[in-house]
Amino acid sequence: MKAPTRGDADGSGLVSHGPWAILGKLLIAAGFVVVAMPLLWVLLGSFKTGAQLNDPTVLTFTPTLENWNTVVSSGILTAAGRSVIVGVITVTLSVLVGSMGAYSISRYKTGGSATRFGILAAQVLPPAVLVFPFLALAYDFQLNDTLAAVIAAHLSFVLPVVCWFLIGFFDAVPIALEEQAMIDGLGRFAAFRKVVIPQVAPGVGAAAIFGFVLSWNDLFYALILAPGNSATLPVRIAGFNTFRGVELGAMCAAILVSVVPVLTATFFVQRRLVRGISGGAVKF
Amino acid sequence: MASVALRNVVKRFGKTEVVQNLDLNLNDGEITVLVGPSGCGKTTTLRMIAGLEAVTDGTITIGDIDVTTREPKDRDVAMVFQNYALYPHLSVLENITFPLLARGGQKPQAQRQAKEVAEILGITGLLGRKPGALSGGQQQRVAIGRAIVRNPRVFLFDEPLSNLDAKLRVDMRTEILRLQRQFGTTALYVTHDQEEAMTLSDTMVVMREGKIVQQGKPSELYSRPVDTFVAGFIGSPQMNLLHGTVVDGLFTSEAGFTTPLKNAPTGSLTLGIRPEDVVVGAEGSHQQAKIEIVELLGPRAILSLELPSGRMTAVVDAVDMLGLTEGQVVPVSVRKENLHLFSAESGQRIPTE
Repeated sequence: MKAPTRGDADGSGLVSHGPWAILGKLLIAAGFVVVAMPLLWVLLGSFKTGAQLNDPTVLTFTPTLENWNTVVSSGILTAAGRSVIVGVITVTLSVLVGSMGAYSISRYKTGGSATRFGILAAQVLPPAVLVFPFLALAYDFQLNDTLAAVIAAHLSFVLPVVCWFLIGFFDAVPIALEEQAMIDGLGRFAAFRKVVIPQVAPGVGAAAIFGFVLSWNDLFYALILAPGNSATLPVRIAGFNTFRGVELGAMCAAILVSVVPVLTATFFVQRRLVRGISGGAVKF
Repeated sequence: MASVALRNVVKRFGKTEVVQNLDLNLNDGEITVLVGPSGCGKTTTLRMIAGLEAVTDGTITIGDIDVTTREPKDRDVAMVFQNYALYPHLSVLENITFPLLARGGQKPQAQRQAKEVAEILGITGLLGRKPGALSGGQQQRVAIGRAIVRNPRVFLFDEPLSNLDAKLRVDMRTEILRLQRQFGTTALYVTHDQEEAMTLSDTMVVMREGKIVQQGKPSELYSRPVDTFVAGFIGSPQMNLLHGTVVDGLFTSEAGFTTPLKNAPTGSLTLGIRPEDVVVGAEGSHQQAKIEIVELLGPRAILSLELPSGRMTAVVDAVDMLGLTEGQVVPVSVRKENLHLFSAESGQRIPTE
């Protein structure tokens, strides 16, 4: 019942000396370069002209806003807005349904031990298998090239992940807490909402952001289900690969529009994200 | 306030019958303590009264209302769990007002009541804190505060003291007793600690394997245990139980310990001797025992005695301990008026009058 003491978590015990420590630092530096260099290249690329981009020997250049003008006037922000709408609706539905599903799996062993991981079974299928039925259905309901079709497709992979992610958090909530709430005068659902959900709130937050990123980054479903007027951000970014060749500069700028919000969000939830993936080892 | 009655209550998990045909009355305003070894069904019984566990068969009434199928929230009981089950995301004040607000109480009124309760429990200074920032004893007080604030018809305690250290346990035991007397609320208290059960209970109920073995006042259970199980379970140190035979009014244990037994039927039986009924250093006794270990408890001492016929435990006043040391050989006898006789086959008490 004790609150975790921050000190032992990020561990003074990890501080070590000697050659291993130096090797470790070198590895981290190498990893950083691998991750950061492409991003840096994209950042610089968004301020270069086409000619400069295609000449790797250019080291210094005068930054230009030409790419950014192209990108903004191409309606990328509207596309980003659509991505936000898709992401928010997908995540809201996923959290509402997924949290109840996760609770049920955690408390009542719904579907036996198979559901715990079986819920992720759809992730094993390549999206190409699922996209055709989605497209056919979208035509049937006359929802092709609408955000609704994209949201439906995104639910198919965001909802199971959110649900799976939350099971461990619910496992960590003592049953006595709900029982106490029921004796204190709440019904089962009210006890879930007022007592259990607050305990898993950090997990729900992390799951929501994780789910949002999944939806935000999806190109495949969005490209096939809504390629036209309802194109989301990744679809528009891919659009810079035109029949006249890749518009590298504009694409760089568009990629930044796509990457920065995700990076920022992930930065704020990284600790909980790790906790959720490692099985929701929440302490009370 | 109300009495509680369980009639022919049965609880089955699959094929195992955890509680068998239980008949139990909790008298209005009294503390009833359910005690027994783990797995005897005592916690299940408590949970059935709370409504957390469905009853397989039988009825439970609180006051004159049949609550057998009611939801926990509609039974008007309060419960203190072993791990306190405080709401970690709420402050102490919010924890105590929770049951009031959950039942549609008004906030100002609820907070006023919570503060009164906090005053009684001496936790006024903690009202703003979260449960995580409290010690075990403080958490316990908050849990009790949350139970009494609503003035329920029945208190249910599920081993509430087992997570506390020894000294705090004794303090809280007194505290619970004091509060229960003050409020006069019917209470059911579950524990596996027979000492806790003895000190707290108006009525003590010993359970074993889903059945009630004996119930009554603690003094009754102590002085007249119905069988060898209760005899061995209640009292610390344990009662000495010797198996042997009676011939012509003389009991001889299997290992050779003898004592005259009047009124005892001839044949084999089990003789129960409370450690305090073993007289150490008695003049004129032909039984000799070696004092193996002395455990001094302050006013009294527990002696582990080694007889040629086996081991025995004795409790003596520290005053009588003068001159007794480990390793010494002393004469030993028993107080004949307080002996307990049990059937050798069934373990049932044999009436001696």
